[in-house]
Amino acid sequence: MNVLIVEDEKALARELEIFLSGNNFLCETCYDGVSASEKIATNQYDFILIDLGLPDYDGLDLLKEAKRDNPEAACIILTARAEVNDRITGLDMGADDYLPKPFSLMELQSRMQAILRRKFGLKHHLVHLGNFVVNLTDRHISYNNTIISAVTKKEFDLIAYMILHKNRTLTRPQLSEHIWGSVVNDDYDSNYIDAHIKNIRKKLNVYESPEWLETVRGLGYRINL
Amino acid sequence: MKLQTKLTLFNAVSKLVIVLLFVALLPTLIQNINRNYTDNRLRKQQDKVIQTVRKNGIKYYITNDEGYGSYTLLKEEYVSMDIVPFHDRLDTIRNERRIVEGDTIQYRILSHTFVIGKKNYLLEIGKSVSTIAETSGPLQSLAFEVLLGMILLTILADLFYSNYVLRPLGQIIKTKLVGAKFPHFKKYEKVQTSTSDFEYLDSSINRMMETIESTFQKEREFISNASHELMTPISILQSKIENMFSIEEVSDEQKIRLLEMQRILNRLKSITKTLLLISQIENEQFIREDTVLVTDLLNEVYEEISIRLQEKNLTFEIDVPFHVHLVKVNKFLLFNLFFNLVNNAIKYNVESGSIKITGRREKNNLIIAISDTGIGIKQEQLPHIFNRFKKFRQSMQQDSFGLGLPIVKSITEFHHIRVTVLSEEKVGSTFELNFPEEIIEG
Repeated sequence: MNVLIVEDEKALARELEIFLSGNNFLCETCYDGVSASEKIATNQYDFILIDLGLPDYDGLDLLKEAKRDNPEAACIILTARAEVNDRITGLDMGADDYLPKPFSLMELQSRMQAILRRKFGLKHHLVHLGNFVVNLTDRHISYNNTIISAVTKKEFDLIAYMILHKNRTLTRPQLSEHIWGSVVNDDYDSNYIDAHIKNIRKKLNVYESPEWLETVRGLGYRINL
Repeated sequence: MKLQTKLTLFNAVSKLVIVLLFVALLPTLIQNINRNYTDNRLRKQQDKVIQTVRKNGIKYYITNDEGYGSYTLLKEEYVSMDIVPFHDRLDTIRNERRIVEGDTIQYRILSHTFVIGKKNYLLEIGKSVSTIAETSGPLQSLAFEVLLGMILLTILADLFYSNYVLRPLGQIIKTKLVGAKFPHFKKYEKVQTSTSDFEYLDSSINRMMETIESTFQKEREFISNASHELMTPISILQSKIENMFSIEEVSDEQKIRLLEMQRILNRLKSITKTLLLISQIENEQFIREDTVLVTDLLNEVYEEISIRLQEKNLTFEIDVPFHVHLVKVNKFLLFNLFFNLVNNAIKYNVESGSIKITGRREKNNLIIAISDTGIGIKQEQLPHIFNRFKKFRQSMQQDSFGLGLPIVKSITEFHHIRVTVLSEEKVGSTFELNFPEEIIEG
């Protein structure tokens, strides 16, 4: 998968590149709009990540060019300015997703995977964890074809997010950012992630011990697949 | 009381007092005028009689030393002449009673002595006083009526004129001050007036409002820009930390330190996000077009937050016994509003305490109260709890940076919801939200 990263903040562009490369994406990076415009016109990409706040170019113009020259590419807008109007304009102009800064790389990956599933018809919606089956589309966990209804929305969000980042330790801040998302509150540290995990374990233990859900001491949690 | 009413009232009262004073003095005045007039007339008649007497000779009037007397038919005036002793000298005008044909009549009598042919004569010319009094009564009531009419006329004139002159002041108050949403002022429209004081007042108010607005604007812009600018470096740091986590050579010990960094970064991010949210609300960047069912919203908040209730073994009860929709609101913000209030109720609660959300209708408004059995707020802290960064360390178990309630305040102001707080130390707090009629349906 080819990704074009258009980001004038070199440090951020570099981190994006490291992360995406580590996840088997082939990355190219542009630090300004003019060179990005050239690359879009000459190459084909699977993903184009566009920072709207470019110093020399209107990000929305670049998006227009991308849709014209690179119709197969999935465009994700990255920006510090996340006003509703910007978002609407971006999405109306054909952007596939919109990520306000600061975003988590994990979230970016999740969104890219979601776009892949949606856009490229990849079906990974059934995930087997021991004798449990997680249905990512219908959003439920079942055991021997019995749906475990006790699992709440939040708990499912946690499991699904950990499945997308399987075999990786996810820290509490990473999990909580994903789980709480847009809700703004003034707690920056709380052990409610532990409480959620404890509840998940308790609910699944009724059927079978979820050995695949591992606590990484001092760091966070991981789903081993 | 309005200035115009005050002025009109003052004018009316002062005029009425003057008129009453005048009317009260009128009898005396008229009496004086009448007396002077009568006296003058009597003097003239005296001159006339004496001239006639000198012309015709006294004998024409007095023969055989008998007095002369003449009454008109109406007994209102009489002339008499008599011989009096030589040493009697008189020249007076005074009121006296006389009996004429059985009637006692009050007369104004001029008594004047004159000498003709070594004899002293007394001339008396009398005018009935009743005729004088008779004119005074109608004159008085006429004066009163005319004055009353004039007063009403002048009050009306005053009213119209003050209304005309003070209209610009009313306009300034109505358009610039009453209902002006602080600090969002309307576009400046000059008030039409020829009164220089009002022109000055209008332009001064406008200048002050512009200063205030630009200061507020600058503050909002600064917060917004600063928050935006902070997002990129935070983003870089966050990505760097996340990438370091995935490096295999990094030991668990180092990862724990990275985790600490991530926590601090999260705190920074949370503060920045909160400031940005508040500045966005204050800049009216949110759209109020959602319709939400109150009970649904509260249940959503409960679902989101229930895990925290378990940590403290708290009981939670929602008692909103009716179906009420909130219209033209921003659901995301209202969710944040309730989330923060319930989150606070949890944070400052005691172990095994309770939280209760109750709803009641008051007239056309809806009041939702969030009560907890927590540690309460000190009375002296109550006025400051909505202040940004005014932090009270009431609970050491949980850490926060005191922006939950400023979020609450911004959201309530954005939706014109009135929020009141009742709190008693060691008993608990109740936050009451009073939703205005215009956003309630059902």
